[in-house]
Amino acid sequence: MTASPALLVAVPLLSAAVLLLTGRRSDRWGHWLGCAAAVGSFLIALNLVLSLAKQPHESREISQTVWTWISVGGFNVDVTFTVDPLSAVFILLITGVGSLIHIYSVGYMEHDDNRRRFFGYLNLFVAAMLTLVLANNLLLLYVGWEGVGLASYLLIGFWQHKPSAASAANKAFIVNRVGDFGLSIAVMLTFVTFGSVAFPEVFAAADKASSTTITWIGLALLLAACGKSAQFPLQSWLLDAMEGPTPVSALIHAATMVTAGVYLVARCHPIFDLSATARGAVVAVGAITLLMGAVIGIAKDDIKKALAGSTMSQIGYMMLAVGLGPIGYIWAIFHLLTHGFFKAGMFLGAGSVMHGMNDEVNMRRYGALRTAMAVTFGTFAIGYLAIIGVPPFAGFWSKDEIIKVAFEHSWVAGGAALLGAAITAYYMTRVMLMTFFGKARWADDAHPHESPAVMTIPLVVLAALSAVGGWALLHVVNLETWLEPVLGHGEGELPFSSSLLLPLTLAVVALGVAAAWKVYGAGADIPVSAPRGSWFIRAARADLGGDLFNEKVLMQPGQRLTATLVRVDDSVVDGAVRGIGGFTTALSARLRQAQNGFARSYALVMVIGAVIVALALAMVRFA
Amino acid sequence: MSPAAYLALAAVLFSLGCTGVLLRRNAIVMFMSVELMLNAANLALVTASRMHGNLDGQVFAFFSMTVAAAEVVVGLAIIVQIFRSRRSASIDDASLLKL
Amino acid sequence: MGVQLPFPTPQIEYSLLLPVLVILGAAVVSVLIEAVAAESLRRTLQPLLAFGSLAIALAGCVGLWDQRQVVAQGALVVDGPTVILQGTLLILAVLGALLMMESRVDPAGDPFAARASTIPGSADERGFGARRQTEVWPLFLFAVGGMLMFPAANDLLTAFIALEVFSLPLYLLTGMARRRRLLSQEAALKYFVLGAFSSAVFLFGSALIYAATGSLDFAGIADAVSADPTSGLLLSAGVALLLAGMLFKVGAAPFHQWSPDVYQGAPTALTAFMSAATKVAAFGALLRVMFVALGGAAWDWQPAVAVIAGLSMLVGAITAVVQSDIKRVLAYSSVAHAGFILTGVLAASPKGLSGSLVYLVAYGFVTLAAFGLLTVVRSPAGEATDVQQWAGLAKKSPVTASVFSLLLLTMAGLPLTSGFTAKFAAWSAAWGGWQTGVVVIGAVSSTIAAAFYLRIIVSMWFSEGDDAVVVALPGLGTRTVVGVGVASAVVFGVAPQLLLGLVDGVGVFLR
Repeated sequence: MTASPALLVAVPLLSAAVLLLTGRRSDRWGHWLGCAAAVGSFLIALNLVLSLAKQPHESREISQTVWTWISVGGFNVDVTFTVDPLSAVFILLITGVGSLIHIYSVGYMEHDDNRRRFFGYLNLFVAAMLTLVLANNLLLLYVGWEGVGLASYLLIGFWQHKPSAASAANKAFIVNRVGDFGLSIAVMLTFVTFGSVAFPEVFAAADKASSTTITWIGLALLLAACGKSAQFPLQSWLLDAMEGPTPVSALIHAATMVTAGVYLVARCHPIFDLSATARGAVVAVGAITLLMGAVIGIAKDDIKKALAGSTMSQIGYMMLAVGLGPIGYIWAIFHLLTHGFFKAGMFLGAGSVMHGMNDEVNMRRYGALRTAMAVTFGTFAIGYLAIIGVPPFAGFWSKDEIIKVAFEHSWVAGGAALLGAAITAYYMTRVMLMTFFGKARWADDAHPHESPAVMTIPLVVLAALSAVGGWALLHVVNLETWLEPVLGHGEGELPFSSSLLLPLTLAVVALGVAAAWKVYGAGADIPVSAPRGSWFIRAARADLGGDLFNEKVLMQPGQRLTATLVRVDDSVVDGAVRGIGGFTTALSARLRQAQNGFARSYALVMVIGAVIVALALAMVRFA
Repeated sequence: MSPAAYLALAAVLFSLGCTGVLLRRNAIVMFMSVELMLNAANLALVTASRMHGNLDGQVFAFFSMTVAAAEVVVGLAIIVQIFRSRRSASIDDASLLKL
Repeated sequence: MGVQLPFPTPQIEYSLLLPVLVILGAAVVSVLIEAVAAESLRRTLQPLLAFGSLAIALAGCVGLWDQRQVVAQGALVVDGPTVILQGTLLILAVLGALLMMESRVDPAGDPFAARASTIPGSADERGFGARRQTEVWPLFLFAVGGMLMFPAANDLLTAFIALEVFSLPLYLLTGMARRRRLLSQEAALKYFVLGAFSSAVFLFGSALIYAATGSLDFAGIADAVSADPTSGLLLSAGVALLLAGMLFKVGAAPFHQWSPDVYQGAPTALTAFMSAATKVAAFGALLRVMFVALGGAAWDWQPAVAVIAGLSMLVGAITAVVQSDIKRVLAYSSVAHAGFILTGVLAASPKGLSGSLVYLVAYGFVTLAAFGLLTVVRSPAGEATDVQQWAGLAKKSPVTASVFSLLLLTMAGLPLTSGFTAKFAAWSAAWGGWQTGVVVIGAVSSTIAAAFYLRIIVSMWFSEGDDAVVVALPGLGTRTVVGVGVASAVVFGVAPQLLLGLVDGVGVFLR
């Protein structure tokens, strides 16, 4: 029997409603309900995907229209959930990794008074993310898009008592609004151009639209993707988002939500197929971010921020691949999946370390933890091998393919991908060495201990997936064939002999590892307080000017304009919005002065208004 | 005499009333100016009624006189009340609500 | 023998006029009750009468669903739009009355001054204490009666009378707040002076149109306009003045400046009713004038309305950004909403009509609920309407913060809320053609508007609050009002077909 796609969304949504509405009454069993909802939706997803696999290869699709949302004249928007091969892999990732993280959180959040609310938000997130990937039209996707943004916002700011968490939540929200603006533009343009927002209709008619329009739609979608996936130039929020509880970082800011941008581009690939400009922009954004994130990863001493830099960088890989066109789509999704396994595993590992070290996040305060936390160390090490791309671990399969197609595209893209692999090897080795090897540099009151089984079991499962997931997806599941009906298939040509690629990649990775070993390896003395470092390290510590960019380009001109006219209410409005907001605020202050409280002046304005109306009438009549 | 002259007179009266509302500070005088505007409209209505040879305009004028009377009741109540509170009938003094 | 009367005995279709007659009749009875009944009796009788008459009128209104007829010698029309507007107005009136009854949120008593004639701060005033006055009920009923007539009026005379019948009581009610009485009285004075001014402008506009066309009823004006499309200066001037008078009532820029001051000064319960119902009634009448009387000259007035619509959207959205008082924020947002509705009017098509009607219905319930919710957040000095005071509200009352966030998001037009349905309906009518530019301005202003709605939401959820501000537990009435608003926002958002279908079913104006 085939389950209903709508049920998949409904289960976590209902659970979230129960958890958030019943309040303290459900404190005792709330977390188990949350887990049950996640696992339940995983089982439904499994059922759906198995049913899907039974259908003929070319036309695999399970659709369910829940209701017709808008129906006016010829314009219809249905709330339709569609499972096709592309969304199938996503629902498994979201509910599968999601379930593991729910279970892990039972242990991680054990001492938090608001654990029930936390699970409510997590369930809400799962429901929204599923809506996003199951939507068969842009408007419904938009609903899911805003939903995951909301859940992410609530979860980053979950520890509201920390001002840093509240401001990080605000920053994430505001930067994401810039991206969401892009999506709303794309929805509008699509509606205007095609008279529809449903994917099948839009894609069928895409080649009839003018190429300029298609390019604009593509660029607007890219802006949206940059916001959600923390890509240059909207990347700055992701590092701050690490203020949220670690399971949140693992689920939302590593495995699923931040990859929504990649999903969006892959889903809308018929648009990008038609516009080389839009594709080029995607490649550029991906290449810049993959290097930027990797460099940031080198400099961070906070283990979660180092991993966040790495997430940016890995998503940069996916963006790069997805911008390459038909030769890259499948590998982007492939990397997205393997990254979901190993990065979630490593974040949870980092959480486990923090759990045992009194919530210390500074790696300079770690060291020699491999014996104290054997399971965490083992699983983290597998994740490490996966991300740097050592065969036969998961990351090797996917990253190697991306580097290959990048070279097929151009030397620049390929070079960036290869360089990124070296830096990845360097910073991940650094994290590894600083945390688990060397001398213990623990704070005086630290008593590292292994985490409870409820936390280590998800680690083990994710480690297993990181170990064999890549090979299995490629050779057992045949991901390439599976995705082909949706994403198409392309063949490229390497500019050099393909037998060179593997040794080249491995050599580069070995170089990165060796360099890190030399600096942080055996016997290296790592000071507890960070040294000043070179200008390069300092720039990287400052997120490579991510905030500076916001400030210089978006904030300051607006502020200057504003300062001359009015003092801005800056308590809330922040960052990117302030530039645009500044202009509006200034204008607003001007208009406000007209509201001077004198009734006679209001009457005068009314008279002027009547004159305007009269003139407008007369212009038509007597012109 | 052409009815157009009466219409012109009505327009002049209306403009005078309008100017009064904009220039006078005393709420009662302002209100009288509004009454002048209403009466200008009545004059226009009656003139037009004569021009077109139907009674609609004259009936309208009667109604509007009644309405004007009701408006006086309400208006004076408000003005007297605010005068008692503030010891001033200046409309400009009542400008706490702004911006 | 006798003089031959020039007037035939008028024929009145009483059954079709039931809603209007019941409410106006009840208003007269209400005045009598004020005159003869004892004080304690009045306090029971008046609300009973008000709710009873509203219920009967509402039932009558439902009964008129299929009626399409010109009634009362051509003075009024009962057609689809009339019925849907009157129905909306009656429901809004019931909800408004519930807010006026609320006496649990304020320890000092209900929202209205115990005796409006006392001097603020005087010993005389204190002597009346928490006494509940009943004079508001006849005024309220007259206002509702006038509002019911306004969108049904089929000639300029009836329209003018209806306008005054609902405006005059509102001027008085505005000045009757129990707290911050000086502000309330000032608001009443401003509302009255500017309102009277705009009425005079409306009247003179009517006179000029009559002079130009020789007719007061809309059909006659329409005939004259189409017979002589070049009928010159007199008609243009008349239309401009008439429009100015009506745009004042709907609160469109630049005729909007009274609304922030009045909304802020008036008792919030009344502001809630007024902001929702006045807009519905005035837009109903405006639509009828534009579509029926001036429908043949749509090309002439569209540019003017486009200018006003664009101005309203921009001025409303932009000015709201720096406001520090939530009532003023909502007032400016209502100016912007007036612009959004005018975009539907601008389309000058049946689709534009139904779009505007959808917008009015959706907007009315949400705005009433939003103002209703303002009354429950309180500081020792009364309602806490400063935006700063709302900071951190989520910690004090997650329910209030969630509901208010939802209402704001609805006003911002978030998908799956009724606000989206409304904007969609109004804008899709104007899209295509040269009006597209106005829709683009609308999209820009709603982005700006979203910024200030979000600002309030963010400060409610993520800021530290002021401990002096508390959330009072309201009575059943206020909870009903808020509940209806939230339900309408969700239901009409999730299943917009309910509303769109309802409005599409009513058809167009009867000529």
